[in-house]
Amino acid sequence: MIKKILIVDDSPIARKILKKCIPQDRGYEFHEAGNGLEGLEKFKTETPDVTFMDLTMPVMDGIQALEEIKKCDDDAVVIVATADVQVKTIFRVMNLGALMVLKKPVTKETVEDALLKARVSLEDIRR
Amino acid sequence: METASNNQITEEEKDILQEVMNISFGKASADLTDVINAYVVLSVPDVTLLKAEKLPDYIRDDIKDYNSISIIEQNFWGKFKGICFLIFPSRSGRKLVAMLGEGDDSFEQSDTMAVLEKETLIEVGNILIGACVGKVAELLSEVVTYSPPRVIFEDSPKKNISKDIFEPESMAIIMKTIFSFEGQDINGFLFLVTSQESFGWLKVALHRFMERYE
Repeated sequence: MIKKILIVDDSPIARKILKKCIPQDRGYEFHEAGNGLEGLEKFKTETPDVTFMDLTMPVMDGIQALEEIKKCDDDAVVIVATADVQVKTIFRVMNLGALMVLKKPVTKETVEDALLKARVSLEDIRR
Repeated sequence: METASNNQITEEEKDILQEVMNISFGKASADLTDVINAYVVLSVPDVTLLKAEKLPDYIRDDIKDYNSISIIEQNFWGKFKGICFLIFPSRSGRKLVAMLGEGDDSFEQSDTMAVLEKETLIEVGNILIGACVGKVAELLSEVVTYSPPRVIFEDSPKKNISKDIFEPESMAIIMKTIFSFEGQDINGFLFLVTSQESFGWLKVALHRFMERYE
């Protein structure tokens, strides 16, 4: 079951769009971070069930943040939401253990699908 | 949503435009890596509003470390109207030729190499500018047409970028992205500039873009 969701993106608009694409009737608790380092800190303090991670960010980029999060918790469910859709980027983040990559701009359908996949993954982990 | 007059943009509109630019340049770089054997490292795009007469100084400030540069310049028209400058330090064209797998060492110093370099810059410009501007327009439900790209080899960056691109007293929005190629000593600067003429349409289009998520 997903309770807490962390959204890491330097763009307040991208965070707003992502949040709007997440069903609001499921009682999720949202946390937000404006760069990878802030995201990593929020991940440690809030222990979210699912983290949405942008890649191109100041201070610490999403690839490094993903790497650090996976060092803290190998089972962390991280969904990358990015405009950088180069094959090599997708390959890199999947190798680092991202659950999946969402291409920006995200839509309600792609975010809902991602959350469904995240829920299945969490159930597998917790079983 | 806050509003501003038609020669200004609000912070929120700037944020939306920055995200639209981020998505668009992401698409452009993916298109480029389809034809060039490289990985494009992207930076966070920057959106700045300034008087058109200050535009040359703004651009020069970013490229001040380079003695000579190559500029690929392309105009675009439609409700979204403006000009794009893709700027590389000089000799980047030759490196790009090599990355595209074109030419060989025997072309070095020859006229053929100069032609190849120019053609490569035009091709890279076509891909990056076309995909980026096209995606901005698409996200904002608009279409644009383009002028053919023009390459300028410039020994003195201080001289280039004319002040007469737009009415000097009018405002302009500059969307800037700096990028590099992983493992290659090549930086590039993409400046997408839109004139005050497009502001009215742009503001409405940005709000419509966000309404899709309401």
